[in-house]
Amino acid sequence: MICLGIESTAHTFSCAVVQKNKRGGKILSDVRKIYRPPEGQGIHPREASRHHIECSSEVLLECLQKANLKISDIDIISYAAGPGLGPCLRVAGVIARTVSSYYKIPIYPVNHAIGHIELGKLLTGAKDPLVLLVSGGHTMLAALKQKKWRIFGETLDTTLGQLLDQFGRSLGFASPCGKKIEELALESHNYVSLPYVVKGNDVSFSGLLSAAKRISNNQEDACYSLQETAFAMIGEATERALSFTEKKELLIVGGVSANKRLSEILTKICQRQKCKFFVSPIEYAGDCGSQIAWTGLLEATAKKGTSLKETFVRQSWRLDTVKIDY
Amino acid sequence: MKLLKKGAEGDIFLTKHENVLAILKTRKKKQYRNQILDDKIRTGRTIRESTVMSEVKEFGVRTPLIYQVDPTDCAILMQRIKGSVVRDLSGKKLVSACREIGKITGTLHKNGIMHGDLTTSNFILSGGKIYTIDFGLSQRTTRIEDHAVDLRLFKEILNSAHVGMMKTLWSSFLSGYRSAVGPVRYGQILNHVSVIEGRGRYAQVV
Repeated sequence: MICLGIESTAHTFSCAVVQKNKRGGKILSDVRKIYRPPEGQGIHPREASRHHIECSSEVLLECLQKANLKISDIDIISYAAGPGLGPCLRVAGVIARTVSSYYKIPIYPVNHAIGHIELGKLLTGAKDPLVLLVSGGHTMLAALKQKKWRIFGETLDTTLGQLLDQFGRSLGFASPCGKKIEELALESHNYVSLPYVVKGNDVSFSGLLSAAKRISNNQEDACYSLQETAFAMIGEATERALSFTEKKELLIVGGVSANKRLSEILTKICQRQKCKFFVSPIEYAGDCGSQIAWTGLLEATAKKGTSLKETFVRQSWRLDTVKIDY
Repeated sequence: MKLLKKGAEGDIFLTKHENVLAILKTRKKKQYRNQILDDKIRTGRTIRESTVMSEVKEFGVRTPLIYQVDPTDCAILMQRIKGSVVRDLSGKKLVSACREIGKITGTLHKNGIMHGDLTTSNFILSGGKIYTIDFGLSQRTTRIEDHAVDLRLFKEILNSAHVGMMKTLWSSFLSGYRSAVGPVRYGQILNHVSVIEGRGRYAQVV
């Protein structure tokens, strides 16, 4: 079975074609165009959605060409129905509905966060992991229990991605700022004390963000101290969740999983807790159409498409409310 | 010395103190953390845990006796409480334990202390009485926000670890909590729990 997946929850517009066979899945093509806000600014939802609309037909066409397929070869269509920015989400929704109704192809709305998790599982081979999802939209620890992804810890305010981006933007960096902060952090070993807030299995970053901004006159020290504090908090929450759930695998997915220092910390935690560590490949760590296409294919094993009337987008849609039937 | 549990934070050993079985809790260095940060966290929590554990006895909250504290090695030697952790109980026993936990939480809050790690594995049922342990994340605070965070965490744990009995256990906990803090404070705190839940990422607020 072949699925066309469309992603447009935030700054990325992406179309991908994924094929599922008995053994697993294969990504045939994955094309992306990313909206870049001006330096020092965040995503403007209207501007981002305009970017998505304008590049949509080009991306869709290129994705089919790269997969060497015609639209009639596509068996199902899936799109990211949430969570995300409303104007952005509607782009994928409109395109998916249009193609689906014109070519009579079954359509599947997919949860973006579950997409990250399922694609990570496919590409790393993790079977029953505790998942750490760290991105601009999410910071949470989840594990599958009784047909739902249950949350075993999460941020109580901003996400790890937002923390890095908002701090970086306050220094005038271009979003996403994670890479630049990581590079600057490597140039310092001078730790400045910052608020460390772990509440049970949950973390809170808002106080850390304000405090880091106050010490940013030395950029290297500030970046180093910010990373060390935030990642140690995530590390502790992860260790608590591992010990509580007794899972033997840890999978990290989402944009921030590209950070090497975070990987290093989690690797050491896994050694201590004697569990296997999986990192989704950098190319597919961030938002992409493949995560949506693959989840659509998984859903197709359990149900037969959704009627057009039900193909809404939902800005707020927590992954722990989705029932997993496959 | 026998290793009883390798927790997320500390290792728990069974040992002897003046010929009586005792518990040694150590917070080992974590290599993955920046050392200044690591020292700060471990020392701070060790001292806080041992002082708060003794202090709460004043208002009738049962905790293990502290025999010795070593802030350099971040180790606490304490009384061993024989019994079973509330997480492993079931049925009526679990329901009444939750009411008791509610009462204890209320008593702590009334006296300006939040526990900070309110889970069913941090309470031990021993000889019909509930003992509270693990005060490493406790704080001196009277803020509604902080007290509500305690309650939210307990609710989250019931939701993940005790899904089947969630509703009964939660209302049992709340009745115990209400009896300790009184109806006015109870209303404020419970209301604020919903506020915190609404702040969750992508929570359905409408």
